[in-house]
Amino acid sequence: MNDVVNSSPKAAHVRAAGVSLTGLRKSYGSNEVLKGINLDVAPGEVVCLIGPSGSGKSTLLRCVNLLEQPNEGTVHVGGFEATHPDVDIDRMRRKVGMVFQQFNLFPHLNALQNCTVAQTKVLKRSQAEADQVAQANLDRVGLGHLADRYPDQLSGGQQQRVAIARALSMDPELMLFDEPTSALDPETVGDVLSVMRNLAKEGMTMLVVTHEMGFAREVADRVVFMDGGVVVEEGSAEQVISAPTQDRTKEFLRRVLDPTHIDLS
Amino acid sequence: MAMTATQRARVSLNVQAGIFIVAVAALILATDWETIGASVFNFGKIGPMFPDIFLVGLTNTLVYTFLGFIVGLSGGLLLALMKLSTFPLYRWIATGYIEFFRGIPALLVFIAFGYGVPLAFGVSWNVTVVVMVSLGMVAAAYIAETLRAGLQAVPKGQLEAARSLGMPQWRAMVTIIIPQAFKIVLPPLTNEVILLTKDSSLIYVLGLTASQFELTKFGRDGISSLGAGLTPLLVAGALYLVITIPLSLLARKFESRSARTKR
Repeated sequence: MNDVVNSSPKAAHVRAAGVSLTGLRKSYGSNEVLKGINLDVAPGEVVCLIGPSGSGKSTLLRCVNLLEQPNEGTVHVGGFEATHPDVDIDRMRRKVGMVFQQFNLFPHLNALQNCTVAQTKVLKRSQAEADQVAQANLDRVGLGHLADRYPDQLSGGQQQRVAIARALSMDPELMLFDEPTSALDPETVGDVLSVMRNLAKEGMTMLVVTHEMGFAREVADRVVFMDGGVVVEEGSAEQVISAPTQDRTKEFLRRVLDPTHIDLS
Repeated sequence: MAMTATQRARVSLNVQAGIFIVAVAALILATDWETIGASVFNFGKIGPMFPDIFLVGLTNTLVYTFLGFIVGLSGGLLLALMKLSTFPLYRWIATGYIEFFRGIPALLVFIAFGYGVPLAFGVSWNVTVVVMVSLGMVAAAYIAETLRAGLQAVPKGQLEAARSLGMPQWRAMVTIIIPQAFKIVLPPLTNEVILLTKDSSLIYVLGLTASQFELTKFGRDGISSLGAGLTPLLVAGALYLVITIPLSLLARKFESRSARTKR
């Protein structure tokens, strides 16, 4: 792949919002997935959520933009209470970009149209303005030259970068990433991570569920380790990944960082 | 002597072909060709059917089918959305409607709208309206189920992506989900049009003027006026095939296209 990931400085004025989660609980029937989570993310901060599968980290992320409705607790995004019963949820979601593990690009629209459809239908921008914003964001993720391709004509990594451009085209103040590289071929992971790295440098608030420990260590301001629906440990990336204090964190990291290790206990 | 599996299969196929040929030959020999020729293949006397069987019969069949399809498609889309609604009352209404109209003969619906409803409400409906409503309401029930399946076949992540971009539910449906669902249901929807084309023949139970005749009624009329036996119906039947076979080919084309783009 010879796409050059472009970090043009003109895009580097992000208006970033903070997130505040308090006492968040979520159950599916009798299965409690989130058991009272408190988490604050400051504007411009990059927080990586790590933990074993089933630990509740994706559910937590999906509660932030209310794709999952929490049973208890509050979600504040940029000082505005997302869980308030009278909130205009669609208005709140415009400020929150989301990137999915499976990309979820719209297959009947090309890359440019994927980035313009919500701009024109939701933000009521003119087609010309939307096209311009979309093109700028596709350039930003290094795919400006593939604007007329349809999703099934793009590789997984390219699709994920279009999905990032689609979210950025709404001028979000917060970006949520739900295992953005887990469905990718190993050779395309790097391009996606480098787009995310640039976004972090530009000052975007980012909440990232990931298994990429290298990325977390390098980019995250803070790493949160979750297991069994609770936050087990949180702190600087260096501290949580290199010098964890909790046994569960140590055990998890030992497995993740050394995948050849087979636990026979 | 033992045969290989391939040899056994070949012998079996040859026996089947032999039985088929014998059956066809027996049917041909048993047929009274003189009578059949006079009453079914009597093409000498059907001249007066032309060109009106095209200008009136074929045209009306196409018009009635088209009108019925438009009503059926709009009604079917509404019912499909109701059936997927989170509000139970909508689901019950849609389910009741679908089960009712799929469960009774379309002929009864034509009679109900042609005679029952005008009597009950003291209105007199134009035949075109009766056909449009009757065909449309029956078609809506079948199309609703087809569309519901199509809507459910669109991956859940599509709705989530649309909603997370700030689209309200209705906007996500209109702009993202329904266009994808339509692509999925194009082949079964084309088959619905074929069924509708044939169902439009049920209009014969209504009182029609000559200019309102569609293919079947036109053919039946020819039986009594031309003295060519059933030949006019044979012609009408052939013209149905002129409509339905291309549709069938179209459905197959849609099918192979969607199979190709699927990954």
